[in-house]
Amino acid sequence: MSFNLFQGLTHAKAKEILLRDGLNTLTPPKVKPEWVKFCKNLFGGFSLLLWAGTFLSLMSYVMLAATSDKPDEENLYLGLVLAAVVIITGMFSYFQERKSSKIMESFKSMVPQFATVVREGEKITLRAEELVRGDVVEIKSGDRVPADVRIVECQGLKVDNSSLTGESEPQSRSPECTNENPLETKNLAFFSTNCVEGLGKAIVISCGDNTVMGRIAGLASGLETGDSPIAKEIHQFIRLITALACCLGITFFVVAFILGYHWLDAVVFLIGVIVGNVPEGLLATVTVCLTLTAKRMASKNCLVKNLEAVETLGSTSVICSDKTGTLTQNRMTVSHMWYDNQLIEADTTEEQTGEHNLNASLGYKALIRCGTLCNRAEFKPGQENIPVLRRAVIGDASEAAVLKYMEIALGDVMSIRKKNKKVYELPFNSTNKYQVSLHETEDLGDPRHLLVMKGAPERILEKCSTIYINGQEQPLDADMKESFNDAYLELGGLGERVLGFCDLMLPQDKFPKGFKFDAEEPNFPLTNLRFVGLMSMIDPPRAAVPDAVSKCRSAGIQVIMVTGDHPITAKAIAKSVGIISEGNETVEDIAERLNVPISQVNPRDARAVVIHGSELKDLTIHHTEIVFARTSPQQKLMIVEGCQRIGHIVAVTGDGVNDSPALKKADIGKLFYQRVAMGISGSDVSKQAADMILLDDNFASIVTGVEEGRLIFDNLKKSIAYTLTSNIPEISPFLAFILIGVPLPLGSIAILCIDLGTDMVPAIALAYEDAETDIMKQPPRKPGTDGLVNSRLIGMAYGQIGIIQSVAGFFTYFVIMAEHGFMPMRLVGLRKYWDSESINDLIDSYGQEWTYHNRKDLEHTCSTAFFVTIVVVQWAGLIIFKTRRNSILDQGMRNWPLNFGLLFETALAAFLSYCPGMEKGFRMYPLKFVWWLPGIPFSLAIFFYDEGRRYYIRHHPGGWWDRETYY
Amino acid sequence: MTSLVPTDSSQLTALKSYQTKLSKILLFYVLFYAALAGFFAAMLTVFYQTLDMNIPKWQLDGSLIGSNPGLGFRPMPPVENVESTLIWYRASDENYKYWTNELDTFLESECSPASYVLLTDKSCLLLTTIFAVVSAYRKPGILEGGGENSMACDYDQRPTGDKVCTVDLGTFGPCIPSTQYSYPQSHPCVFLKLNKVVTLHPATQSGIFNWNPHYYNDTEHLPELMPTDLKEFIKLKRDTNECFVPVCQMNTVWVSCQGENPADVENMGPVQYYPKRGFPGFYFPFQNKPGYQSPLVAVFFEKPAIGVLINIECKAWAHNIHHDRAERRGSVHFELMID
Repeated sequence: MSFNLFQGLTHAKAKEILLRDGLNTLTPPKVKPEWVKFCKNLFGGFSLLLWAGTFLSLMSYVMLAATSDKPDEENLYLGLVLAAVVIITGMFSYFQERKSSKIMESFKSMVPQFATVVREGEKITLRAEELVRGDVVEIKSGDRVPADVRIVECQGLKVDNSSLTGESEPQSRSPECTNENPLETKNLAFFSTNCVEGLGKAIVISCGDNTVMGRIAGLASGLETGDSPIAKEIHQFIRLITALACCLGITFFVVAFILGYHWLDAVVFLIGVIVGNVPEGLLATVTVCLTLTAKRMASKNCLVKNLEAVETLGSTSVICSDKTGTLTQNRMTVSHMWYDNQLIEADTTEEQTGEHNLNASLGYKALIRCGTLCNRAEFKPGQENIPVLRRAVIGDASEAAVLKYMEIALGDVMSIRKKNKKVYELPFNSTNKYQVSLHETEDLGDPRHLLVMKGAPERILEKCSTIYINGQEQPLDADMKESFNDAYLELGGLGERVLGFCDLMLPQDKFPKGFKFDAEEPNFPLTNLRFVGLMSMIDPPRAAVPDAVSKCRSAGIQVIMVTGDHPITAKAIAKSVGIISEGNETVEDIAERLNVPISQVNPRDARAVVIHGSELKDLTIHHTEIVFARTSPQQKLMIVEGCQRIGHIVAVTGDGVNDSPALKKADIGKLFYQRVAMGISGSDVSKQAADMILLDDNFASIVTGVEEGRLIFDNLKKSIAYTLTSNIPEISPFLAFILIGVPLPLGSIAILCIDLGTDMVPAIALAYEDAETDIMKQPPRKPGTDGLVNSRLIGMAYGQIGIIQSVAGFFTYFVIMAEHGFMPMRLVGLRKYWDSESINDLIDSYGQEWTYHNRKDLEHTCSTAFFVTIVVVQWAGLIIFKTRRNSILDQGMRNWPLNFGLLFETALAAFLSYCPGMEKGFRMYPLKFVWWLPGIPFSLAIFFYDEGRRYYIRHHPGGWWDRETYY
Repeated sequence: MTSLVPTDSSQLTALKSYQTKLSKILLFYVLFYAALAGFFAAMLTVFYQTLDMNIPKWQLDGSLIGSNPGLGFRPMPPVENVESTLIWYRASDENYKYWTNELDTFLESECSPASYVLLTDKSCLLLTTIFAVVSAYRKPGILEGGGENSMACDYDQRPTGDKVCTVDLGTFGPCIPSTQYSYPQSHPCVFLKLNKVVTLHPATQSGIFNWNPHYYNDTEHLPELMPTDLKEFIKLKRDTNECFVPVCQMNTVWVSCQGENPADVENMGPVQYYPKRGFPGFYFPFQNKPGYQSPLVAVFFEKPAIGVLINIECKAWAHNIHHDRAERRGSVHFELMID
């Protein structure tokens, strides 16, 4: 194949190859077919148990049908109901799972990988999938190698092959073929490995599935990660509660068997107890909650790569933020100018628009003329419609800043430069520290040349003998120098980068039009110039950052700035965004204020500190406000580890390849900022290490993330508390049935209806609950002691609300029984006779005699009423679990999914009770209206008890209720 | 080595504060549950105010008990065998004693006839003190206060006021305690009773809510399924003109007992019913008056087959009693086996 290294492929050719070979992607690993996933939902875990129950019921029906001409149809219905329940919940969780995985898929595709390719002699950036064999690509540090490539030229190129070969050290690359083994030779770099250093040019030799990575089957899919803390916590909790349920279930099974129940009835008890105790809906609820949050966060520019990271972000206690681009706008901007012996502040906001002070001060005009002409930076072509500040610039950062400032101040800089033709240029170098250019002026009547110079202010000042002030040239005397120095120091103290400008009109006689200026031997004056002014530049902080930092502070999160910048710059930015808050001083500040040497200041007096990277070793932190300056990636890692050692949960932000070690170390919210606004995508390496990608580069988004994380944690707690609460009224009827021998107050099918029916929608709806107002005023939770499910939550759900609910259920049960003639005392110990089919004349408290079937009707009616009562008390349950601290009056009822949930559970309960045919399948009987009422006083009791509890918590923080019942 | 007893003082304080914390939580739950129990009791008390201690709140079709009473039989198998309906004994042995004792207790018990099966003596007492269902067939209806309110009734002599009808044990023919209910002679008696279903006092509630049997007192509308012997019996009664104005002696809930399968019919042999072939109408309705005695029919099996299990179904017959063998409505099932 013939090609030209500088030309690359033609577009047509590339298109042709792309059509032939297909996209440069790995064929996705064979995902489990949908039906397998579906079956997993249908037959996995508890479903299996329910299926067993179904099978047993149907089998016993068949057995009865074979031996008797008129078999009892109850078992048939029970079997059918069980099957229906399993299938419906299986489908529900399948669709939920599918929905959330689709959402997550769509997130992934929103973070595409790009490659820089040379085609038809032009450098273009395209999606890595569109690469074809033969393309010439450029690789630089931080990139993921987009295909298998052969290096043709490079400078200090190193790649990290660990994902392919497991070598942990970066491997250097060069154009020479050093080994016959493709994996050993130095001139090949492989798809999906990372470039960690240097840059190079390479030719694509194989794409997609033909790459080495593509051929190593299974590796591509082997990127699954371990469970995150919340997943662990939930799984552990579910396992625990399942084990408990199974133990209890088996105990009941054995007891029922001993009590002489038919084995099938005993199995129904077993299923009932397990179903009653295991929160089957919980996993689905958690997934739905997390997905909802991920969706909500995506709309706020946070892409969540790892669902559980949402929650862990909420427990963050320290954020290690880099400076550039996160706290700042990542573009140098002119912030101050000094001319006419005045210091003028420029607008540095993100949406900087409009005219600057065109007050026609001559000093200002001279300064901006200098800035416009003595500037090599240019806008990239084709950006006319983009706001000036967003345009891409060729040239270094400070020149770009000046260029943009001029473009805004003057309009079309390029045409001004054209009018003032550049005739000669002496570029910047580090020995001179200045740059010079010579121009013909736009004033056609003036044939003189203009010399403009810019550079390090002290060097520029040396070159000058006069200074231009208020339109007059004045000698540069000691006073003037003094005031220059003051201005220079002040700007330096603000951490700004300062440039000096001077100019000179060359005399026409010596330098006529067409004069040949010589570069090697400057044949024009470089001294006795006219000083015109200073411009200082800074990467200004983002507008939203100070607010976000103070929000973090009130949320108990320490914000630490880690930057490679100079300490002074770092401190200035830290102060301007509030990382070092107003009034807080560093040791240096105190020393300066008291005018004593630094060594005499007690470090404990200073609340803030700026730490130089080199001082990191002997670091003891007495300070609440910390800035790390001049830090290397290794040191950043040390900082993260140090914070973790003292028990913090650290979120790290970073975008460069340097940040990936620290990102990987940050045990939880690994964050990463992608620069979309700037058009520079964050490096692929850090993208891989991150759990969450903030699309708008903004530190404020991280606060949103923390808030969402805390919110979902709270809401999960609420949801779990709600779900667990109804376990007590589900299990206590069985206990009463076995222990005190009352007729069964609540049947197994009714329990299923609660767990998988009426409780499901409200539990999920709690995920939509708004944050309690004070969510960002609480300190972060302590991961060790403050788990998702803690003893206080169990105490609330099981010990308090659950018990009230049980009592409500039993009250309803006793009411209906008594109204029919069985007084509570009569029921105790009655189970044996009640359930005996041979007793056709069981006497009640009024002397009435009940046949077996009459009393079974009564029993099932009571069970239905118990079920309805659980729904009624769960209304209150749902409302009280909306808030953990606030009053419902503050919280309001604006959560519409939850309000729908209230209606839904009521409607479902009514449907189950009143729909004809339910008495056969579900053993649900129509209730008289008054039997809906006995639960209501208990519902109110729950509501007022918990309002009172929360009132006390609010008004006595740290009091007993707060310590022992705040879950 | 670690010691189980905390030695250093900080450990001790920690332990102590933990104990205080725990005891405070314990105290909280004690108080919480006490308050909850109080609330529950209060609610129950309020609820009790809505109840009438003599008449259940829901009756007949308003109640799940319905208006289609079942039948009960005596003697019943022992409590340990609660699922069984088999009366099984050997005439040569003394083991018929269990059954005759059961019947003795049934007819003598101070408790209601059904309750003794279900409750120990103590709880039976508890039941009767609360709900006055004293009912001993040997003694006339005795009130709690010791008064008497029973009277001998007949078709033309319905109970008046608070009075209840007596059941005269002398009318049961061979089914009396002195003959051991004929058990030793291998032709046992089984007593049948119609389930009591409370209905309101006719004076306070219109008649539609009263469960009164709707008797088969003519020969025109006898159901097809009615055993022919019963049909003939009713016709005979009709022919002998026992139903005359103003009181019809045929206002009776008729009773029939049959073998369930053809073989059972043969094995069962002839039966006789004492004192009448049914429950006389003057016992109805059941209004839960103190001292009320359920009418009884003693079924005398004249010559049951020996050594075979006989499935027997007895039915009560009235227009408003419907039969359903699976749900045991209007009927009762038991097995008889004499070795």
